[in-house]
Amino acid sequence: MIPFLVRRALSSVPTLLGISVLTFAILNLLPNDPIQVWSGGGYYSAEAVEHLRSELRLEQSPAARYASWGLALLRGDLGRSMRDGRPVAAVIVSALPWTLLLNFCSVILIYGVAVPFGLFGASSPGSIADRLGRALLILLYAVPSFAAALLLQQWFAVRLGWLPLQGVPDRGATALGTTASLARHLLLPTICLALSGWALVARYARAAFRSALGREFLAVARAKGLSRLRASGHVVANTAVPFITLLATIVPGLAGGSVIVEQIFSLPGVGRLYLTSIEARDYPVVVGLTLLSAVLVLSGHLLVDVLYLVVDPRIRSGLLDERSDAA
Amino acid sequence: MRPRSLRGVAVTLLAAALLSACTSSPPEDRGAVAPSDYGGRFVYPLRTEPATLNFVTASDQPADLVSRLVGDSLVDRDVDMNIVPRLAESWESSDSGRVLTFHLRAGVRFHDGQPLTSADVKYTYERVIDRKNHALGHLDGFLPVERLETPDDRTVRVVYRFPYAPALSAWEMPILPRHLYEKEDFLTSRFNRAPIGTGPFRFVSWEPGRRIVLASNREYWGGRPYVDTLELPIIPTQETTLMALLAGEIDYASLTPVQWDAYSRDPAFTRRFATVSYLSLFFYYIAWRADGSNPFFSDPEVRRAMALALDREEYVRAVLHGLGQVSFSLFHPAILPPDPDSRPLRHDPRAAAALFDHAGWRLDPKTGLRSKNGRPFRFTLLIFSGGEDHAQFSQVAQESLRALGIDMRIERLDWPGLWARLKTGDFEAALSGTVPAGDPDDVVYGMLHSSQIGDGRNYAGFHDQEIDAWIEEGRRAIDPQARSACYRRIAKRVEELQPYTYLFFPKVLAALSRRVMGVEPSPRGLIVQYPGVIRLKIRQQPGG
Repeated sequence: MIPFLVRRALSSVPTLLGISVLTFAILNLLPNDPIQVWSGGGYYSAEAVEHLRSELRLEQSPAARYASWGLALLRGDLGRSMRDGRPVAAVIVSALPWTLLLNFCSVILIYGVAVPFGLFGASSPGSIADRLGRALLILLYAVPSFAAALLLQQWFAVRLGWLPLQGVPDRGATALGTTASLARHLLLPTICLALSGWALVARYARAAFRSALGREFLAVARAKGLSRLRASGHVVANTAVPFITLLATIVPGLAGGSVIVEQIFSLPGVGRLYLTSIEARDYPVVVGLTLLSAVLVLSGHLLVDVLYLVVDPRIRSGLLDERSDAA
Repeated sequence: MRPRSLRGVAVTLLAAALLSACTSSPPEDRGAVAPSDYGGRFVYPLRTEPATLNFVTASDQPADLVSRLVGDSLVDRDVDMNIVPRLAESWESSDSGRVLTFHLRAGVRFHDGQPLTSADVKYTYERVIDRKNHALGHLDGFLPVERLETPDDRTVRVVYRFPYAPALSAWEMPILPRHLYEKEDFLTSRFNRAPIGTGPFRFVSWEPGRRIVLASNREYWGGRPYVDTLELPIIPTQETTLMALLAGEIDYASLTPVQWDAYSRDPAFTRRFATVSYLSLFFYYIAWRADGSNPFFSDPEVRRAMALALDREEYVRAVLHGLGQVSFSLFHPAILPPDPDSRPLRHDPRAAAALFDHAGWRLDPKTGLRSKNGRPFRFTLLIFSGGEDHAQFSQVAQESLRALGIDMRIERLDWPGLWARLKTGDFEAALSGTVPAGDPDDVVYGMLHSSQIGDGRNYAGFHDQEIDAWIEEGRRAIDPQARSACYRRIAKRVEELQPYTYLFFPKVLAALSRRVMGVEPSPRGLIVQYPGVIRLKIRQQPGG
């Protein structure tokens, strides 16, 4: 399995390289010279422009700039933010945990709600509860996340005052207190981000479970006296592969959605950083963030592959066969 | 964020005190409740995050605000925009306006305990004029300086190359601690993210993307501020800001005209919040590119016709819900009181049509468009894509012009994109906005003087010898009466030539928690004024 993973990881290198070239090219093709952007309504003196140009290496050709940028990257140096002078890596690292946490919680919430929902729907198809549930999910799916965010804020933070409206918590006196406060702050944004995923995964789960429930092995297992619960366990195991594939498709969508959610809930995450950096034409940060999201998506796919191997023995043996074929 | 030019630098000796502020349900009077106690926390949201807190290189509004709270400038402006002493106890002008001598207060210390001396002032000045630092917001006002001398620890003598009337304005710049910065690289110093000044508030923390926290400087030479903690959370959206106010998380929120209409008459809202509206210095304008690169706007007659064609009053009434004022002069009323003799160009489509005809742009019955020498009157207006008001006004304008046989297209750009096009002059007409500094020189020199084409803010590429001469006369006129007269002449000629059509000053609409007392709006804002912010008080909750 390890050699497979190494091969798999190495195959992402050309992709990453391609993405970095593309990002670099796009930024260099943008019509505005960053210096014009930063010079604001006042003006930059000739000296200041020259200073900035050499700082940005703008007097070199794009190819030369890409080469020196790539070399610095190999040393782990992403450059400095043009907006505030901090190292790009530090800027990104301070924002990344919020986005990862938000997305992680959303995935848990999506699957935690949608899978039982789908299982319930599949086990009593056509019942009133099943129909109502499906209608509700479609409705939630149709609500744009910014509208949902405003409604949730209005109810839970303003009218009822149960949850904080926006922002992230202060570090509390105890770890427990901090965690509790963090959970309260993240609840609304997590729900907003999860909304669109729920309907998708639940409908998917319902269909997958329905077909699995109709399969023969289940009837045999039940006939052998397996409890309903243990039988469900087999159903879930048999339907796990498509769920994992689904995960690979939702995660990039979530990352995109978190730009809006972070903006509305004033979370200092990567999505908001992306937005402000593009507005400020802060090239080093934009390139760093693009590269980061590429790495994240690629490692997401890698993770999905690993999960396949873990949950499905058939795939595992298939891979081993492939290797023996190759050998 | 609204586009705005960097505050140029300059100053008013005119001390125009006509404050066009009005409050519809005014914050309670300072004397009404007497919280003798100090303390409390004032939470004032920022829409965007500052790029740096270095007083000299700071170029955005939030950074400017923090600089004025943590730092102290030699002079500042009060609620009515009059120049008042701050670090400088007094000053005098000699050699018929060429020399300005400041006397610094005794016993002023930085937050780290070091005393402030004239050397710090000199150091700060030198950082501004060092072009490598791109201290854009402050540089203009120091360009006429010949040299700066510090005869002793408490005296700063500034010698100008010529009698320079707006000189004081440039000294609204907070003073940096030389002893700390000297040992570091100026542009990457750690003090750029954790500033130390002599101001009424000490810097406590800056959590990126989240908030900036300041605490009162109990040893402040001007007296301890009433408020103990000033918290500046970064809340990027207007909707969330309003809800955060309703949820009691913050004490201040700016409102849109729609939000204002919905809330300012709601008793449940006004019981908790004071609603405040005032004319800020910000105004919208359209720049007509007049350098000959298009066949339309080099002709002043056409520009005048455009001004007559635009229904600015109707826009303020219908779209801004009356919450604004048409700018029939290029000067904000608090900067230069309106001229009773001026004859502004009001909406008059018939007169506009006559002017277009006279200028040779005649209606072509086949196309329904005006044309001249076979060229149809079709141009593109650049606007900022981030502001709903920009889009609304340009659509209203598009309709009015269409009725006169002019086809105006609208191109929406993000702020950096719009700015770049303005700077390079690559446009026919552009709608933008700016915040002028307190001295009338700032807006005329920056936008109208021919030396500011290309390098400066004269985006229209406008060049008029007479106006150039008057602007220079205004800069050198030490007598306030003569200066006023000079600027009125400029305003009158600008109204005739219309290099820019000044559109309107939108009112700033805001709601303020009733816990907060002692603030009056100034055209520059609620807390950017001096010594207003020191007097701000938080009503203490009984038992809390």
